[in-house]
Amino acid sequence: MSKEAILNKLSDAVVNGKPELAKEGAKEALDAKLNALDAINNGLVKGMSIVGDKYAARQVYLPQVLMSAHTMYAGLDLLLPAIPKSEMASMKKCITAVVEGDVHDIGKNIVKTMLTAGGFDVNDLGKDVPTQTIVDTAKNNKIDVLALSTLMTPTMDGMKAAVDGLVENGYRKSVKVCIGGAPTSPAFAKEIGADHRDANAQDCVAWLKEVF
Amino acid sequence: MAEMSHIERVMAGLTNQKGDRLSTYPIACGVNRKLVNGGVSYQDWAHNAKLFAQAFIEGQKAFDFDFAIGLMDLSVMAGDLGAGVRFDKENTPFVDKYLINNTEDYEKFVVPDITKGRSAVILEGTKLFCDVLKTEVITAGFLEGPLLALSQSAGAERLFMDMFTNPSAVHKALATMTEYDVEMVKGFAKTGCAGLCWDYLWGNYSCLGDAEYDEFEGCKKYAGDLNALTAKEGMAVAIHNCADLPHLDTQITKFAPAIYSMAYYPLIPGSPSAAETIEKGYCDNCLVGGQIDPQLFIRGTVEKITQVTKDLCQEVKTALCKRGLGSRYIIASGCEVPPDVHTKLENIKAVVDTTKAYGKVDW
Repeated sequence: MSKEAILNKLSDAVVNGKPELAKEGAKEALDAKLNALDAINNGLVKGMSIVGDKYAARQVYLPQVLMSAHTMYAGLDLLLPAIPKSEMASMKKCITAVVEGDVHDIGKNIVKTMLTAGGFDVNDLGKDVPTQTIVDTAKNNKIDVLALSTLMTPTMDGMKAAVDGLVENGYRKSVKVCIGGAPTSPAFAKEIGADHRDANAQDCVAWLKEVF
Repeated sequence: MAEMSHIERVMAGLTNQKGDRLSTYPIACGVNRKLVNGGVSYQDWAHNAKLFAQAFIEGQKAFDFDFAIGLMDLSVMAGDLGAGVRFDKENTPFVDKYLINNTEDYEKFVVPDITKGRSAVILEGTKLFCDVLKTEVITAGFLEGPLLALSQSAGAERLFMDMFTNPSAVHKALATMTEYDVEMVKGFAKTGCAGLCWDYLWGNYSCLGDAEYDEFEGCKKYAGDLNALTAKEGMAVAIHNCADLPHLDTQITKFAPAIYSMAYYPLIPGSPSAAETIEKGYCDNCLVGGQIDPQLFIRGTVEKITQVTKDLCQEVKTALCKRGLGSRYIIASGCEVPPDVHTKLENIKAVVDTTKAYGKVDW
């Protein structure tokens, strides 16, 4: 199979939400000794970008986006280990997390997917994450971006606690902090000392690309 | 115009007549527990029918609302189905352990005994507050729709992917959720509430398109059947949906509720404002409520929320007059007033008092 055919297979697998096809395409890419980063960017990520554009245009909805994300990760699981460490080093490092006390993570997972598709090296800490874990992970792993989410009002203060924790441990100036979730607003981001409030996942990636 | 009673005012809105002023209901539910016995925890409030009811009664005394709607939280059904529900002391309870681990699990749901668990608490609590308030205000029970109850039980992300890959399994579970809701509707009909407010949360273009929403919430089956049953049991159909991009054509035009409660997200393109909602005809046959930002009840000052309420009253009155409608709008919060310890009760009162002062229309 030609390089172009393999890349198209990876992209089509993501667009159509077919994880088995993505795994198959990833194995074919590795067997054909394609550059793994090339296969990711011009195969899987290209497909996810198409899905992201269709989602923004309301041509597809959350079930399809989630299946496409699941498919992209199925391919990434095989391709990421094949990327030379030197190439990974140039990627900006992000952590994503839903703050402590909240388990609503669809929005955060979409952000994680779009950040990955946008070329960021994402470490997802998951949901209901203690503030200290967020703060320590950011500093210890020299993270460039901290993306925090919550869907509930009572847990919004967890975002402030994370920003305050970064100030206390001296790492705040080294990391961009963005927040998202229905109850958040640009005014709240400003109030707690975050750098940006993301209206949605695409907005988050677009802002970070401007910043970096 | 002479001052109307709460019920007369809402009836004027429901029948598109000219009321003495716009009706009002900041959706104050869990927050009212702060008024009971000097403040009770969410866990106690959500497990005790008397405390649950007393909160609405105390809320009415404190704020003089036009409605009382018995929202507890969105994990009542999932919890009684067996999901793990976490109760933090002052946080809204939420599901932290889902019931679906594989496709076969969708077929294992069993309708619980609604005389037990929190289903029983909400039914008994609703009866208790309706007994006291039903001659004063318009009362309603509050119930999760089948798709919401299933998403709370299965986990939304899992459910959405299974809609795509295993729709037949999802439909089997939705049929069980609908049976559960049927039992609850019949239970609410015995409480004396005037209406039943459905939470059809996923009617949101950020989540589902028309085809998916119709398939999994259903104009005919599921929600459609339950709306019809609600009316048959003698209760008005109300719908709450705090989505950023609500399915208004389905949920207002096709479901045809008497009352519709919605939110407004000014930063999201396409999110409908109050004026746009009225201008597009969604209030022609429905009493619509909204759209004060719930965050203002925590983070706003009395002055700020008063100004926001005044502006909303003016926006609504202008749009209603342009459209030739009567009192077809409720000055309300777009979603529940946050049941947070930091919520400012004086801001709730400010919304009601401002509506009393500035919600009058010079018909």
